[in-house]
Formats: sequence, structure tokens, C-alpha cells
Amino acid sequence: MSRDLKLFVVDTGPLITLAVADSLDYLLLVDADVVIPDAVLHEATRDAARLGAQDIVDWVKAHRNRVEIAATKAYERFDLARLAAPQLHEPDLGERAAVEVIEEPDRLQGAERGLLLCEETAVLRRVVVRDRARIVEISTLDFLRILESEQRIQSAEQVFALAATAGRHVSRVEKLRAQNDATRAAIHALVRRRDEDE
Amino acid sequence: MLNDQNKRALQAFSRGDMTAIELRRRLDGASYGDVLRLLSDERLPLPQASVAGREEQIDRAHAWMFPDRVA
Repeated sequence: MSRDLKLFVVDTGPLITLAVADSLDYLLLVDADVVIPDAVLHEATRDAARLGAQDIVDWVKAHRNRVEIAATKAYERFDLARLAAPQLHEPDLGERAAVEVIEEPDRLQGAERGLLLCEETAVLRRVVVRDRARIVEISTLDFLRILESEQRIQSAEQVFALAATAGRHVSRVEKLRAQNDATRAAIHALVRRRDEDE
Repeated sequence: MLNDQNKRALQAFSRGDMTAIELRRRLDGASYGDVLRLLSDERLPLPQASVAGREEQIDRAHAWMFPDRVA
């Protein structure tokens, strides 16, 4: 992975919205490396138990050459704590992990720039000022509208319309109910520790 | 099952009149997935954030995503 543009998926919204609309591949329509903090993937798969968790894991597996699951200390600590408290929930875990990834000193090098794809976090406000010139935050719909204006997809609104009907796709419920442990194991397998790459 | 007050909050969120954070707080810390399911159950569209005030940011993102086309 060595593209100049890094697409950081910094909260669960984009993953869930795109997954339930069968549109995760839209993240690959831009010449960018996709970076997903491990905790965001964890929250998306936990949160999306009825809405596409397995789809997200499968998609990441299928695109390991473009998609990095970035390891964070925040998730490592959370995962250890879960051994003692399996029901542990930290509402801002994903956001803390995202900030940790973006602020890694060597994460954006040279002319590299970062696009933060998110729905509702305050991630950018927590990013150190030195990076703001080359980091832009946009919503899923902004991202889709840009793709639409470039005629890479037919309709941004259609993706949102599909996502809005996701809760009625009850067939996914049984498929995923018993897969919490499996998705957790999958995240462990997918995490790319940067020191392993070097 | 949503009570009337929470249903109105969900409708306000769908119209873009309430932030996701505020809605999730009102719904006792509901997750994004929960909100998506509730919108779906109530047959409400996802909110669409206004572009006003963010034009420069979106234009910059566009240029970064498709540098050849925008240049």
C-alpha cells in the first residue's frame, strides 16, 4: 500500500451504510489506500450483527491489498480488558483508535494526504493542528456524491435509500447471531501491525 | 419500541434537524446500527447533511480523490 491518498474510515457509519447497501466496493473506486482502525472494525461488526457484519469482514479479507486494518493500543487494551469483562463496552473506543491511527507520526509521509470518512465523530477536532492542512473530513454521502459527479456510481441517493431499508432485511439475523466470536477472531487475523510490515 | 417522544426525535434526525450524537443520547446511547434499524422500521430516510458551509472542504476532497479530472 503506497498511494498518496489515504482514506481513513474513522467511524462505523460508512462501513455499515455501505455494507447494508452492498456497496463496500465503492470505497475502492478512488485511487487511495483504505485504512480502518481495528476498533472501528470491531464496533462495526458488533454493531452490525443484523446488518452486514460478515459482509464487512469478508470484504476486508477479499481486499487485503487495498485495505489495512490498523492496530491500535486503544483496541489492544480494550480486548485484554474484555477477557475479564466480556460485556465491556467503551462508547468512544472507535474514535480514540481513529485519532491514534491518524496521529501516528509516520502515518502520512511526504505528499500523502488523508481523507477522513465518517458520519458523526469529532475526530478532526482531536487531530493535532500540524496535520489539518492535509486532512479533510467528509461524510459518506459527500463521498458518494463525489463518485456520482465523476460518473463512477449511478446514484448516491440510491445507496442511502438501500441502507434505509436495511432493517427490514431480517434474513441476515439468523445468519449472524452466532458469529460474534468468529468476527472477533477474524479481526485479530486481519489486523496489520505496522511493525510486521516493515 | 419507540415512545412518541423518541419517535419525534428520530423524525427530527431524519430531517437533519437533530445531530446523531443528540439522538443517540436521547435513545440511551443507541449505536449507529440501532439508529439505522429504527429509521428502517419507521420507514424514514437517512439524514442528508447540508453542504452549506462545507463547500471548500468537499471541493478539496474531490480534488484529492480525482486529481486528473479536477485539474
